[in-house]
Amino acid sequence: MAAAAGDAPHLLLVDDERSLREPLAAFLTREGFRVTQAPDAAVARARLGAYAIDLVVLDVMMPGEDGLSLCRDLGDSGVPVILLTARAEEQDRILGLEAGADDYVVKPFSPRELAARARTVLRRLRAGEARGRAPEAGTYGFAGWSLRTGDRVLVDPGGVSVPLSTGEYNLLLALACRPRQVLTRDQLLDLTQGREAQAFDRTIDNQVSRLRRKIEADPKNPELVKTVWGGGYTLAAEVTRS
Amino acid sequence: MGRRLHAGGRGDAILRAGQPRSLVGQLALLVAIALFVAQAINFTLLLRERRSVRLAQTAGPAAARLADAATDRGTDRGGEDGPRGRVRRVSGPPFPAHLPAEPDVAAAVRSLLREAGVRTAAVTTALRPIDPADPPWRRTRGPPPPDLDTEVVIAARLGDGTWLVTRAPWWGGEAGLVWRLVLQTLIIYAAVLAPLLWIARRVAAPLRDLTRAAERFAPAAGAAAPVPERGPPDVTALIAAFNGLRDRVTAMLDEKDRMLGAIGHDLRTPLAALRVRIESLEDEADRRRSAELIADMDRTLDDILSLARLGRPSEPATEVDLAALLDAVAEDFRDLGARVDCPERPRLAVRLRPTLMRRAVRNLVDNAVKYAGAAELTVAETAQEVRVLVSDRGPGIPPDRLLAVLEPFARLEPSRNRDTGGIGLGLALARAVARDAGGDLSLANRPGGGLVVTMTVPRR
Repeated sequence: MAAAAGDAPHLLLVDDERSLREPLAAFLTREGFRVTQAPDAAVARARLGAYAIDLVVLDVMMPGEDGLSLCRDLGDSGVPVILLTARAEEQDRILGLEAGADDYVVKPFSPRELAARARTVLRRLRAGEARGRAPEAGTYGFAGWSLRTGDRVLVDPGGVSVPLSTGEYNLLLALACRPRQVLTRDQLLDLTQGREAQAFDRTIDNQVSRLRRKIEADPKNPELVKTVWGGGYTLAAEVTRS
Repeated sequence: MGRRLHAGGRGDAILRAGQPRSLVGQLALLVAIALFVAQAINFTLLLRERRSVRLAQTAGPAAARLADAATDRGTDRGGEDGPRGRVRRVSGPPFPAHLPAEPDVAAAVRSLLREAGVRTAAVTTALRPIDPADPPWRRTRGPPPPDLDTEVVIAARLGDGTWLVTRAPWWGGEAGLVWRLVLQTLIIYAAVLAPLLWIARRVAAPLRDLTRAAERFAPAAGAAAPVPERGPPDVTALIAAFNGLRDRVTAMLDEKDRMLGAIGHDLRTPLAALRVRIESLEDEADRRRSAELIADMDRTLDDILSLARLGRPSEPATEVDLAALLDAVAEDFRDLGARVDCPERPRLAVRLRPTLMRRAVRNLVDNAVKYAGAAELTVAETAQEVRVLVSDRGPGIPPDRLLAVLEPFARLEPSRNRDTGGIGLGLALARAVARDAGGDLSLANRPGGGLVVTMTVPRR
């Protein structure tokens, strides 16, 4: 993991709380990142001009200009952002994703998880995938169902909310983001593992069959989440985003 | 709380069944009763006055005539039917005994006769209908006036056993008096009650608005429109005071929300810093335990904030598939390696706040997993309600503590809490969430050991 300093991805860590920022910077440095710190948005802007920053880790609640406003500006520059939010309200999450963040972690977070997500965001960027830019923000509609990412709610055609487990939600989101694409089990595992990594030791097949029981009219003959023999799974429906 | 107030109202209604409950109704009833009592007193006085006048008019002349006759002046001069001969002298009982008597007249005549020095053995009276063909009426008065249909016959028995008999018109007409009184009362009612009802309505309508506004006062959804200040000055002053009170309560709650937000932020920041710092702990087990402890503190903080905010939740109630919710919670626990059973069951749409309910169920399952290592989620439904049962095979709770542990920050004996760090907020929050959804939560020990938590939620 100890990459040469020159190759190490350069992180800008923006948080007004020194007691959190400094040990986190130390941890991320140990994890192989090059870390520059900024106590507020103004300093962060200066650092962004001075260095080639690969990823910004940004606290939402800061005195002065808050994280969301900086995040919106960064969206235009093409630098990916991971938000640090205090759980407080669902509203924060929605606002964060709408502001163009690539991902977020909720305080108090596991620093290992933050490091893992930072790597995932950077890897996707390098792999040439369209930049995160809130890949999942908004509402996905398919076959009368709608999946709201802001408050993580699935609503059936009759308007009844159907709560999903974390695993089911991540799986459905991964499928809804890539309608009619065949996703292998490995791809799905990779796509769904970014979040709450510890919550995942169950097989994708298991998650799929659970999901089918909730959204398919006949789980034995699925119409929405279809199995592709030898390939994987696909969401066989038009998906609208709003 | 609202429900209890309403229940009290119903109790009152039963106590006062049959009485008008509204301000207008009570005022009208009260005034009507007062008017009626006043009229009744008037009527009684009037009647007494009339009777005494009649008595004087009847008894005086009759007694004078009888006294004249008794001293042989009247009968001698005019004979039995002479011009002043309205007194007859007869030897037998003057009228049949079955006619109704008028004792007041008899007593008055008797005492007048005694004053005139006439000794009488007895004075009797009788009322009887006037016979228009009767000579005295025909001769002296012409036909009787239409409302005069009764005469009183007064007979005095003298010492020698003969009777002196005279008669006088007997003015009845009390029925007519009653009708006049009724008419008069109705006129007064109309004249007094109509404006009274108008005023009462003017007072009652804004009061009703105010009551409705107070009942519906839900500080959750921002500032409601103030109640319009109308009606008489007393009422507008009350409404203005209420509007002011509501603004102050809303402002206080806003302030509380801001404070809770600040508390959450200020406690989470050091918690987050701590969470980062423990990564440098060498000992793997130590690190894991510390991480769990921090996660526990974070959850407790969440519970505290949720409980404190429950009065004005930001999340709206929606139709939610409760079966899927329970299944999702169970699945999340299974993902973390806990044994949580939740039999699959068909859709069960209930109106509730999904995030809060999910946290409530998670708290219940978390307790069971903590104390018993495993939990079972079952659902029983009736037409009116859904029961969610979270059962475990843990140590249960001493019967005398079953209610107490539902109170916020209640503890069981310290030894049970020390290693888990729980401060008994989970159950309190779950109950608060259940009550917020219109249901309730109760605990019971299971036969064969273990605890079962029953959460009821109404359907619709």
